[in-house]
Amino acid sequence: MNNQAAAIEVRSLAKFYGSHQVLHGVSLEVKAGEKIVICGPSGSGKSTLIRCLNKLEDHQGGTIRVLGTELNDDIENINEVRRDVGMVFQHFNLFPHLTVLENCVLAPMLVRKIDRKTAEEQAMAFLQRVKIPQKAKSYPGELSGGQQQRVAIARALCMKPEIMLFDEPTSALDPEMISEVLDVMIELAQGGMTMICVTHEMGFARKVADRVVFMDQGQIVEDGPPAEFFDNPKHERSKLFLSQILGH
Amino acid sequence: MKADLVMANDMFASPVHTRSFIETVRKDYFSTPVQALLTLICASVIVYVIWALVRWAFIDSIWSGTPEDCHAAAGACWAVVKDRYRLIMFGLYPYDEQWRSAIACLAVLATVILSCIPYFWSAKRLPVVWVVGYAVFYYLMKGGIFGLSVVLETQWGGLALTTFVFASTVIIGMPLAIVLALLRRSKLPVISALTALFIDGIRSLPLLSILFTAAIVLPYAMPDFLVGDKLYRVIMGAAVFFAVYQAEVIRSGIQSLPAGQEEASIALGLNYWQTVSRIILPQAFRFALPPTINQVVIAFMETSLIVILGFFEITASGNAAFSAGGWNSFYVEVYTFVALIYFVFTYSLSMYGSYLERSLRLMAR
Repeated sequence: MNNQAAAIEVRSLAKFYGSHQVLHGVSLEVKAGEKIVICGPSGSGKSTLIRCLNKLEDHQGGTIRVLGTELNDDIENINEVRRDVGMVFQHFNLFPHLTVLENCVLAPMLVRKIDRKTAEEQAMAFLQRVKIPQKAKSYPGELSGGQQQRVAIARALCMKPEIMLFDEPTSALDPEMISEVLDVMIELAQGGMTMICVTHEMGFARKVADRVVFMDQGQIVEDGPPAEFFDNPKHERSKLFLSQILGH
Repeated sequence: MKADLVMANDMFASPVHTRSFIETVRKDYFSTPVQALLTLICASVIVYVIWALVRWAFIDSIWSGTPEDCHAAAGACWAVVKDRYRLIMFGLYPYDEQWRSAIACLAVLATVILSCIPYFWSAKRLPVVWVVGYAVFYYLMKGGIFGLSVVLETQWGGLALTTFVFASTVIIGMPLAIVLALLRRSKLPVISALTALFIDGIRSLPLLSILFTAAIVLPYAMPDFLVGDKLYRVIMGAAVFFAVYQAEVIRSGIQSLPAGQEEASIALGLNYWQTVSRIILPQAFRFALPPTINQVVIAFMETSLIVILGFFEITASGNAAFSAGGWNSFYVEVYTFVALIYFVFTYSLSMYGSYLERSLRLMAR
């Protein structure tokens, strides 16, 4: 895929919960290799948007194309997209009944049909990259939050995804564990991964984001380079939001 | 963490350690005159009952002999068990062929025990265990091959029949329960509503009525080639009854899973069956383990209900054991023996349940 191809194309996306509309015509284009940070006040629809990108949520209007495939009701289609799109959750969602290593080899073996030996070698390599290979035989419950989130990142990477989605990856962590997870994410970004992160870590956004997308009330309010967004926000709502989270 | 635990332990443990046994007894049981009196009364009742039981069961008891010997003695007449154990264990199965029933019973037990070992918990291994175990049981009991004489299902009885009915109920009922639980969670409203109707419908009927229907009514309603022996229809009835209760147990286990588990699984690209079999069910069973063991124990006890349909399972063959040959007055001993057999089975099940709970807790702290 050439660098300018769109990895994700969202056109006038509308999403309802019952009769309540949470996304109002959201359009977003992400090129391969781009790193996008989505931020905004709670209830702005940013998590809903990112969850629509691998169809954890259905959308009711507009189109989503991921890696050239349009997300529709064809389940085979969606499973194909999910293989190539890794996701990291706020609450890690590691499988507590499996060891760290088993968490990492499960999907490559079942979905990519890789044999156990290759899958384990590859998993160990990724665990090495997130600096936690010594915990391969542990169960998730024995790990700290930061360690669990790093394992969750390794688990997603084991599928060799083309895009990584991060849904508030540090919001459930104790403050002292945030940086170990951000370090891993920064390294990943520097490796050229296409990344979409919902996060309030503005330092991270400034450092690695190509664009910051600010959402409020189900719409994209502002979309631009981080320097522009942080130093010279155009909209009142962006200014208010920034003053609230950077105010202290 | 460890240090904390040790400290907490010491805090609780130290006062107990400094108190001697005699001191403990005096403080807890003899602190006031009334308490002392109550303690003495209760203790003497307990001692008396235990002593009477021991004397009845072991000291004054007769271990072999005739009914007349037993009448002469004051204690338990274990001679009836010795004399009639073949009838109790094998029912009406032809006397000379009872070794087949014994091995068949062991085959069922082996099947049950192997099914309890985590190594066999896979879609490939479990069916192999079941098919082999059942083939051994069926051909040994029924005969007709390898020069074994044919013994019809109506002659099966005793412990072999009880274990067979129990194992079949659970082995057919458990997969059915999983299917029902999953169907009830279906996103398609028609399917989930119909499943709910089926589950709630069966649950509102007593087991006896279901067994009667399976044994007696069903043959009128079904084409002949589908009817099969009464035994298999009754097992199907018991299995469906087990399944609807167990389905709700499993469903409650699934509902105790955080929603993120299923999401994480499908986000990795696992399809529905992979998600269900690798992520959802293994965890749901952990949550639902205590009530599951409960259901299985109940299923074992309820095998005794098939007596009323003319089956000679172990309770019925126990009845037969003392109702002839002058043993009539020694039913307590026979029932004690039968109860002991039930106890061994259900107690092992409970022990297995708590072992499983402990080991699974270790796995997923």
